[in-house]
Amino acid sequence: MAGEVRRGSTGWKVAAYLIMVFFAFLTVAPLMWLAYSSFKPHAEIVRNVFSLPTSFYYKNYTEAWRLAHFSLLIPNSVFYSTVATAATVLLALMAGYGLAKFGFRISAAVYVFFTMGLLVTVHSVLVPLFLMETRLAIANTRIGVLLPYVAFGLPFMVYMATSYIKGIPDSLQEAARIDGASYLSIFRAIIVPMATPVAATMLIYSFLCNWNEFILLLTLTSRESIRSLPVGLLSFASGRTQNYGLQFAALVIATAPMIVFYVLFHNQLAKGFAAGALKE
Amino acid sequence: MTEKNLKRVSYAVLTGPALLIYAFIIVFPILYSLYLGFSDWNGYGPIVPTGFQNYLKMFQDPVFLHGLRNNMLVVAVSVFGQIPLGFVLAYILYRKLVKGAKFFETMIFLPITISSVVVAILWSNIFGPAGAVTAILRLIRHDPRMVFTVFENRTWAIFPILFVILLIYTGLYMVIFLANLQKISPSVIEAAVIDGASEGQVLGRVILPAMLGVLFTTIVFAISGSLKSFDLIYAMTGGGPAHYTEVIAIYMYVKTFSGSHFGFGSAVSVFIVVLSLGMIGVVQAVFGRLEARYEG
Repeated sequence: MAGEVRRGSTGWKVAAYLIMVFFAFLTVAPLMWLAYSSFKPHAEIVRNVFSLPTSFYYKNYTEAWRLAHFSLLIPNSVFYSTVATAATVLLALMAGYGLAKFGFRISAAVYVFFTMGLLVTVHSVLVPLFLMETRLAIANTRIGVLLPYVAFGLPFMVYMATSYIKGIPDSLQEAARIDGASYLSIFRAIIVPMATPVAATMLIYSFLCNWNEFILLLTLTSRESIRSLPVGLLSFASGRTQNYGLQFAALVIATAPMIVFYVLFHNQLAKGFAAGALKE
Repeated sequence: MTEKNLKRVSYAVLTGPALLIYAFIIVFPILYSLYLGFSDWNGYGPIVPTGFQNYLKMFQDPVFLHGLRNNMLVVAVSVFGQIPLGFVLAYILYRKLVKGAKFFETMIFLPITISSVVVAILWSNIFGPAGAVTAILRLIRHDPRMVFTVFENRTWAIFPILFVILLIYTGLYMVIFLANLQKISPSVIEAAVIDGASEGQVLGRVILPAMLGVLFTTIVFAISGSLKSFDLIYAMTGGGPAHYTEVIAIYMYVKTFSGSHFGFGSAVSVFIVVLSLGMIGVVQAVFGRLEARYEG
């Protein structure tokens, strides 16, 4: 296997360990510090930054939960993420089937049109999008958040779906066609089941992006009742609460679900991110 | 319905919805902001064309130019920091130079799941007056009154943010490179080793040339992604103090939404698109040359 290093390797190995340990420490240590500091009252955090908590001060959590309106933010985040993710993945699979299997000449152009969207950053459409949504009276509504979430997810999702569905053999579909099945029922009965692996990666990747999305929601909403976790968290942290204990507890509440998510779906996430850079 | 028409209708039903949403929410607004950028529209009244006025004004504003400089630093950290470092980390894991590769990979990739807002609040505490950096400096300098004040310096204020960017997103490039390294057939490396190639030669002659394509895509990602530093910086410093840590996306945001300068803001967003496409164009030209050299 390509594993073993054969010669002169001790120095390299030491260097490799140093780099790895240093990097892993820098990413994980702040999170550990955050986690245990969240059980210290504000005064104790300020007085002694690194000390472990002397008592289990869980009041930070009950207070932060109430003051940051988590009981509002979490359901909102769950709503946006699940609805936008489901819609994006379904639309992308449909489009991917059309682009990969119908053999129309226009498909190549449509595909390029979609992938050009990969280069567009959210900021470049923020101003006109805001104006457009205001004019259509969907700014500050849930649908006004969901539409851009779906739209910005589509370029990458269509890219993933199309390249995967291209690899599904034609024979089954042709046989189903001859038996008189409609294209839509082929999509439902053959394409979707066979695309399950890529669909899983797409769902997980898209969910993560939507869950962490910040700037669109910040710009397109002003009512607190429809805001999601990242935006609500920032306004809580930068608001009147200069209490580190509360802030840290709030950060832990917001982060813990994502760490569980990461532990469960780590491989799928890595696949999703890596797919973005695979050479066609 | 004839078979041909049925196929066309099905095609439209399948691809149409995605295409419509995409065109309506992304493509149309870009065209609209191109148009608005040539006006000084403030949200009321008719849209009066003012030519290149906004673009001239932009380049005479020192705040904008400082933001542009910060943006370039973010791009530099991504291209010359995250990508090489990400490759080194991936290479270490790929060649199994350390035990517990899976553990390290999982730890280093972890920040990718955490919202930029959480990262920003956490790190602004670490760099803050009551934070870990100040505490460590006090220990080292034996000066209990010492305070970490980099944010008060116009030139250096952005550097703690660059450090966080480097730390958080390098794991992403590591995962991308690792996935592509694993696609290289082990037998190719075996053959090179049997022919007497050293570790360095394997890297330089076999692995790096195979990585050229991915390197191109990651650089494109880094350039278009570096404009995404908005979330992190906005939540960490809001561009402050006194615009020291602003990038052009924040400049655009502040100008547009606190002063309703929609025309001017659109011009800045158009500039962001042009800048990112321009840089990607340059990278593409460089890689075209490189590929020609490897093949020729």
